[in-house]
Formats: sequence, structure tokens, C-alpha cells
Amino acid sequence: MLQATVAQAAVKMDEPELIRAAQRGDQRAFEQLVRLYDQNVLRLALNLLRSAEDANDVYQEAFLRVYKNLHTFRFDCSFHTWLYRIVTNLCLDALRKRRVRREENTVVETREGVLDRMDTVEERRAHGDPQRQLLSRQLQARIQKVLGELTPRERMVFEMRHYQGLRLRAIGELLGTSEEAAKNCLFRATQKMRAALGDFV
Amino acid sequence: MKCEQARDAMPLFLYGELPFEDEEKVEVHMDECADCRAALAKQQALFQAIDAGRMIPGEELLENCRAELRERLEREGFAGQRERSEGFWDKLRQGFTIHFHFLPGWAQVAGAVAMLAVGFTAARVAPGSLGGPWTTAGVAEPMTSRVRYVEPTEGGRVQIVLDETRQRVLSGSIEDQAIQRLLLAAAKDPSDAGLRVESVDLLKNRPQSAEVRGALLYALQHDPNAGVRLKALDGLKEFANDPETRQTLTQVLLKDDNPGVRTQVIDLLIQHRTDSMVGVLQELMDKENNDYIRMRCRKALNEMNASVETY
Repeated sequence: MLQATVAQAAVKMDEPELIRAAQRGDQRAFEQLVRLYDQNVLRLALNLLRSAEDANDVYQEAFLRVYKNLHTFRFDCSFHTWLYRIVTNLCLDALRKRRVRREENTVVETREGVLDRMDTVEERRAHGDPQRQLLSRQLQARIQKVLGELTPRERMVFEMRHYQGLRLRAIGELLGTSEEAAKNCLFRATQKMRAALGDFV
Repeated sequence: MKCEQARDAMPLFLYGELPFEDEEKVEVHMDECADCRAALAKQQALFQAIDAGRMIPGEELLENCRAELRERLEREGFAGQRERSEGFWDKLRQGFTIHFHFLPGWAQVAGAVAMLAVGFTAARVAPGSLGGPWTTAGVAEPMTSRVRYVEPTEGGRVQIVLDETRQRVLSGSIEDQAIQRLLLAAAKDPSDAGLRVESVDLLKNRPQSAEVRGALLYALQHDPNAGVRLKALDGLKEFANDPETRQTLTQVLLKDDNPGVRTQVIDLLIQHRTDSMVGVLQELMDKENNDYIRMRCRKALNEMNASVETY
């Protein structure tokens, strides 16, 4: 999932050096550190929250927290794990708040509405895959609706396993739970998706 | 393996998250069951459909995020000068909402302990009256803070009210009245003996001022720290002839528990012998157990043709 190799090749210092420099107050080092991971952070938040605005909020809050707490980072775990704990917690909070909002408001935002607001977001194109090209907008809307109906934890585990390609063990570690619990979450998520979407494919 | 089990296991099978034996069982079942092979194909198609809905952030969104972050970091004061050791503030900043109540009345602060003495007394003695021939160095000096109270608020947040004393650096002549007032206050600060020593040391060069002399006499009589009392005594030397000073010296000679102080006092007193001293010296001979002081005392009494002991 880390796909940070491109960014890493561009930096002169390696990651531990960057972290130490940033801990000493080196702003440029901190910015480089951010750039190693921020695309992946934004992508995760965007796919979970399906809103550029909310993804930006998570991005800002996550890196501000990293900035404020970086001096407490002691290399006990990988920086990636440390960062993603922050990010996943923020995303879970956002999903939970959204669920509360949805329960309070009977009006459910349509997926089309959400997608239409994403002026700065590009949907991945099908790149010549005929099967993907045939997928109707209706099916995509339906998929997003089902994803939106998963519990925040199910949604998170599904996102990390399906989109980010993380192993269940790593997901458990990031979410502060066991591999088994992450597996159960993933199982429930896929069961719900199959039940709701099985007839469409 | 039954079809139902195989179908339940399909997503984990496709993710490669099944234990080795279970994966083996699914594979064997697929070889045998056409329906389940169709179901697996359907599951794969579903996954592909889900993949197609994947969003990737555009360049513009990413750049906007980065620009906003940079701006917010600037506001947070990331100017390369950040002290990482200010644990108190860092801890406070982590997830708390802090409401700064800048308590205006110094009386409200009076109950606070552990205030940095100079900051505290400076503010108390000269609240905002910065006229005068002194300079103020630095606007954003470090502050001393004390948590006045904490209370939980809605949504699991915490409200913390801090009393804060902002440090200022003032410099000016010792002759300056305002500077002297600050030093006089600092000379009585109960929490910091070192500060009292330094303050009395500065003040002792200006004992001509009645206010300063009063402070020196007070320190000599009441300061719990012998170092401060010795400094005060030093400043009072040239007033060994002054009746008020002599009276204080006499009391100190009989009461002070520090032989160093008593030695200095007796040397000072016997430089200017008066008849009224005889009774005091005789009383001292009665109770003093320090040999040097007894010797000085006996010598003075002899020179004054007074008997060493009372009968």
C-alpha cells in the first residue's frame, strides 16, 4: 500500500533521518516527511468519506497531529503504522459522526449528489477494460450506497483490505484489535455487499 | 466442504486471507462444484465493480491540501525555532480545548503558588505602569502558568483555566524608583531565597534610602535564610551608629541562631561602644556558647570597664 517509493527516491535523507530532523524543528524535513505519505493518506480518506472536503479535513488534522506529537515518536513502531493509527482514527470518527447525522436527518444524501460535488476528484477510468466500461452508473451508485451502509469499522477494514491491500494482521494492528476481529469485520462487510449486490453482477 | 461454507469463504479466499488448510478445501470444492465456480466468478466480478468505483485524488486537491497545511503550520509557529522540550504546553495542546482567561486582577493571582518571583512581583508592584527610564526586552517572553481549575464539558472535552504570568525583562538603573520597588518586593519573596539574596545584594548598595534601609533591617531580623541576613547586615554597616539600626542589631545578636551572623553583628556593634551596650553584652555572655563571640564580648566588656558577668 505504501507506494511511497517514487517520493522516497526524490528525497535526500532517509525516513528516520527525516523524522529526527523534523523532531529537531526542521520544517523542510517535516514537509518532505509529509510528502512521503500524504497522497496515500488523502486517497484513503477520500475513498472512505467520498467527499473532497471531508478528506481535506482528515488530511489537515492528521498532519497537524503528527506535527504536534512528532516529538513523542520513539521509533517503537514504524512511522507508517504510527501515522495510519492517527489517520484511521480520524476517518472512523468522521464515519461515526456521519452515521449519527444520517440517523438524525431523514434525508439521505444521494451518491450522485456527493459525486457531483467532487470537482477536484477524478474517478478512475476504465482504461479499456470492456467489462468495467459496461458497468452502469446505477451499479456504482448502488455500490457506494452499500459501502455507506456498512458500520464504520466494517467500512474501514474493507477499505484497507480491498483498496489499500493491507493484510488483516496489519489492519488489526492499526486499529488496535486482533487479526481475528479484523477478519470478522471483513467477513460481515463482504457478506453485506454480496447480499445487496449479488444480483447486479 | 459444503457449498454454503465454500461461498462464505470466497471473499477471504480471493483476498488470500484463508488459512492454508481452508484454502486447500475451497480449491478442492471448486474443482468439484460448477455452481460454486460460477459463484466465485460472480464474486470476482463484484470485486472488480467495486474496484471501478475507486477514487484517486486529483492534483488540484492534493496541492490545495498541502497549501492549507503549510499555512496552518505557519500559524502554529513552525518557524524552526520551536522548543521541543516545553512539555507542559505540548501536553496541553494535544486534544484539549484551552480557554485562556487572562485574569486581570492581581489579587486573583495572589493565591497562586510557584509563580516565577520576578514576573509575579513585577506585575504586582508595577501593573502596567511602564513609564520610566527602563527598557522592556522581548514581547513574547515565556510565561509561567498555573492551572487554576479544570472541568469536564460536553462531548468528553475538558476546559482548563490557566493563570498566566508573562515574563518581561526590565532593565534600568538601581537609582530608579520603579526598579527599587521591584527589588524591594523581590527581597521579600518567600518562595525563592536565591532571588532574595540577589535582591538584597543589589539593595545594600543604596542604604541611604529609608525604604531600602527598612527592607534591610526587616531582612536581617526576619529572613529565614542566613545568606540573606548576612547580605542585609553588610548593607547596614555604615549605619552602625544609627539608633534604630543598633536596636535591631542588638536584638539580632541575642536572638539569631546563626553564629556567623552573630559574629558580624557583635563586631559591628562594638565599633561604636555606648553604655547602653553593657547590659546587652552581659546578657550575651550569659547565653552565648560560641567561643569567638564570647571572646569578643568579654574583650569589649573589659575595655568598657564593665564586669563580664552579672551577679
